[in-house]
Amino acid sequence: MSNKIMIVDDNEYVRASVEIICESVQMDLTSAACGEECLAHLESGFRGVILMDIMMPEMDGWDTIREIVSKGLYNGNIIVMLTGMGEPDAKMDGVQEYVTDYMTKPFGPDQLIESLQYYLTLLNVTSGTDA
Amino acid sequence: MLNKNLVVIGVSTGGPFTLKELFSELPPLNAAFVIVLHITPEMDYRIAQGLDAVASMPVALAVHGEHLKAGNIYMAPGGFHLKLDGNQKILLCEGERVNYVQPAVDVTMQSVTKSISGKVIGIVLTGMGKDGAEGIRHIKKIGGITIAQDQKSSTIYGMPKAAAQTGAVDLVLPPRKIAEKLIELLR
Repeated sequence: MSNKIMIVDDNEYVRASVEIICESVQMDLTSAACGEECLAHLESGFRGVILMDIMMPEMDGWDTIREIVSKGLYNGNIIVMLTGMGEPDAKMDGVQEYVTDYMTKPFGPDQLIESLQYYLTLLNVTSGTDA
Repeated sequence: MLNKNLVVIGVSTGGPFTLKELFSELPPLNAAFVIVLHITPEMDYRIAQGLDAVASMPVALAVHGEHLKAGNIYMAPGGFHLKLDGNQKILLCEGERVNYVQPAVDVTMQSVTKSISGKVIGIVLTGMGKDGAEGIRHIKKIGGITIAQDQKSSTIYGMPKAAAQTGAVDLVLPPRKIAEKLIELLR
């Protein structure tokens, strides 16, 4: 059963917070400080739940998702935005189908763990026909 | 048993958890439920199976040509628009994206026709953008009951807000209250 999580955030304190939370429930965390690092992890085979910040220098969260899709790296992942932006901006238009959830900072550990556990359950569904 | 009462639910980001909250509150009801979630083909079956695990009614991805049955939940698969023929038969259609998405809520809701023998209910839940607003306007126009999720409980208040701004929404409620209303209307 997969228990892989990736945090994509340029803020090291956010990455550290998510790391502590994931460690507390034995989830396997990969950290990326920018969109390019996220893509590199995916190209190296990462598949799991991706917690994606929006506002990052160079490539923001939306552009990173567009790159993930255009490179054929989406399948097998669930993308959850984890952001300080209360409401998403118009750049989300066109990527809605790839964004499963939207969580805002500050986030509570229990809320984050509950969400991650549920999405990991969905990723471990194997049948491709119907429910 | 063929379907008479029809509930069409439109939802996007934040949908899996919101649907889980809504359907875990619902007993089997005398209606067919059609869910249009903005989703990809890589994810649709996962969400359907996740919902099936918590819902009291069976959940399946909608199949082209299938007839709706009361007490069942049908989820539009990714990559197609879902239309209803005579409020009974599922038609999966290719074509242009609508409101940037496929499936689009507006396409499904606007395919619904006035029901002589049963209730039609349209619901718009959390999500970015305005998909579902024109659909809700249509459902109201044909005599249906319309509901939008409230701001406080919405992960993203874009779609419910756009639906409410049409002036065609009867009720603005959180998921648990929506469940209570559905039980009242459909039991």
